[in-house]
Amino acid sequence: MNENSNENSVPTGSHSSGHNTTLPLESALNTHTPPGLQIKAALLVLLMVLLVSGAVVYLMYARGVFEATQKLVLMADDSEGVVVGMDLTFSGFPIGRVSQIELSAEGNARMIMEVPKKDAHWLRSTSIFTLERGLVGSTKLRAYSGILTDPPLDDGATRALLVGDASSEIPKLVATAKELIQNLKALTAADSSLDASLGNVKTLTEKLNGKGGALGAILGDEKHTEKLLTALDRTNSLLTKVDGLAAKADTQVFGPNGVMKDAQATVVQLNAMLAEARSSLKKVDAILIDAQAIGANAKAATADLGVLRADVESSLRKVDHLINEINRKWPFKRDAELKLP
Amino acid sequence: MLKALKRFNHHTLEWFARATRTIRFSAHLLPLTLAPQTYQRDNRAAIARQLVTGMGPNLLWFTVLCALVSSVLIRIVVVTALSYGLSKFALEMVVRVLVLELIPLTAAVFVALRCTLPDGMELAELRAHGDLHRLQQQGIDPIAREALPRVIAGVFSVLMLVAVSCLMSLVLAYLNVYGFTPWGFGGYTRVVGQVFSPAVSIILVMKTIAFSLAVSLIPMASAVYDNVNTTLQGRSKAARELASMVRLFSVILLIEVASLLVNYY
Repeated sequence: MNENSNENSVPTGSHSSGHNTTLPLESALNTHTPPGLQIKAALLVLLMVLLVSGAVVYLMYARGVFEATQKLVLMADDSEGVVVGMDLTFSGFPIGRVSQIELSAEGNARMIMEVPKKDAHWLRSTSIFTLERGLVGSTKLRAYSGILTDPPLDDGATRALLVGDASSEIPKLVATAKELIQNLKALTAADSSLDASLGNVKTLTEKLNGKGGALGAILGDEKHTEKLLTALDRTNSLLTKVDGLAAKADTQVFGPNGVMKDAQATVVQLNAMLAEARSSLKKVDAILIDAQAIGANAKAATADLGVLRADVESSLRKVDHLINEINRKWPFKRDAELKLP
Repeated sequence: MLKALKRFNHHTLEWFARATRTIRFSAHLLPLTLAPQTYQRDNRAAIARQLVTGMGPNLLWFTVLCALVSSVLIRIVVVTALSYGLSKFALEMVVRVLVLELIPLTAAVFVALRCTLPDGMELAELRAHGDLHRLQQQGIDPIAREALPRVIAGVFSVLMLVAVSCLMSLVLAYLNVYGFTPWGFGGYTRVVGQVFSPAVSIILVMKTIAFSLAVSLIPMASAVYDNVNTTLQGRSKAARELASMVRLFSVILLIEVASLLVNYY
């Protein structure tokens, strides 16, 4: 404690200052303390102690130290993304947290969850537990209880964890995207069909904007376009003439002395003729009915004629037979040769 | 070349010597903080005076400034996270960035600039004027009477500012995220519980204690051990204060880097 010693000692003196013995910083060395100062200091210390102890108690409460819990063991092939302290959620509400992760004897990840007793009733014996790994954000542990009337989950129960990994879809997605990009590349290449089509469209639009317009684009040649335009002009003039003709025809047909009036009279006459024809036809119908009756009688007579004919034939055969007999017995025998008619 | 090597060697040796002196000073002082005779009547009065004079205005100003800056930072983080659809991570980020990293560092720097560095200079002047020597002649331990109260006040100031500011930042974060409603308390507490795992809590406590010790001990060690032959007038005094400040901030930076390494690697 000697100031004359080397610098490694704790110097406390003024060996080189040469100042007088008065205290230059009386406030610093003043041991007299106002009466309230110690109370203020004690209050500050008390405030500090209260703050620190309050923070400790709050953190212990936040960590769930004061909660009665039950254990739940979840088994998965892989514990990637799961960390100690992670929440287990049910319908979006945290109902437990991971307290320990270890490797089981079978080589699986064994996650031990602490579920507060007050929330344990959400977990049933039929509950399903999933581990979801998203592309963005942390991994999520979720519980689903379909039937809430099933028996509650036992303390220390072991359940399998179903893993849904969005990142495993990435290679497939990349392969598909690559294929799509290649298709796009082929589609947009310089010698592609799309490029040729676009070239044709360009040519077409140029023609559309050209002298012949749409007609030029369709016919492809200015001469043909001119021909078509000439034809159109002539058609127009023709149509004008036809229009005049139509007007004249209208006058002649539908005018006061037009054909239409005669036609109407003719139609009236035709109607009368048709009525007469209808009555004539009725008469013809009656005649036909009579004819049918005659026909029926003739048919019956024809049936009687058959019988009569058979009788005549029979009589003729008898006469013929009689003549033959006479001829045979007759002294003037004639040649018996039979001549067919 | 040889001259440069000699200079480098001299600087290195000097750095080691200063570090050794600081450690020895700490080893001398820290047992005193636990000794009952340190808190006898006279010393108790000195400690109380240092605590109150050091803490009083600083606590108010630092709390106000910290509340303003925290509000702005919390709002920025919450709004940005919301715009990216990551609002559920906003609260955790706010707690991690503010409470674990920024507030302890800021409190340590604030106490160093407002309290312990001026105290160190004051002690150096007392020593230069021979006041400490006179105390020793009166049978009073100058270290226990003058250095120790300042060290205790420095340590206490850092711890107090960190505790108050962290609490206030947590309250502001809650109000910014949930508003004036008690219904978010459950979810908020759960997030805080997730952030403050035992390891993170221990690192925060250790870091804060390390900050408070560095902020309190290094200026006092410089005041007690630096060469008193150096003139206190003019530029040399300013240069010495600056050197002491740079040394202190280097140590604070090292502590912060070490805590980040332990926390996130």
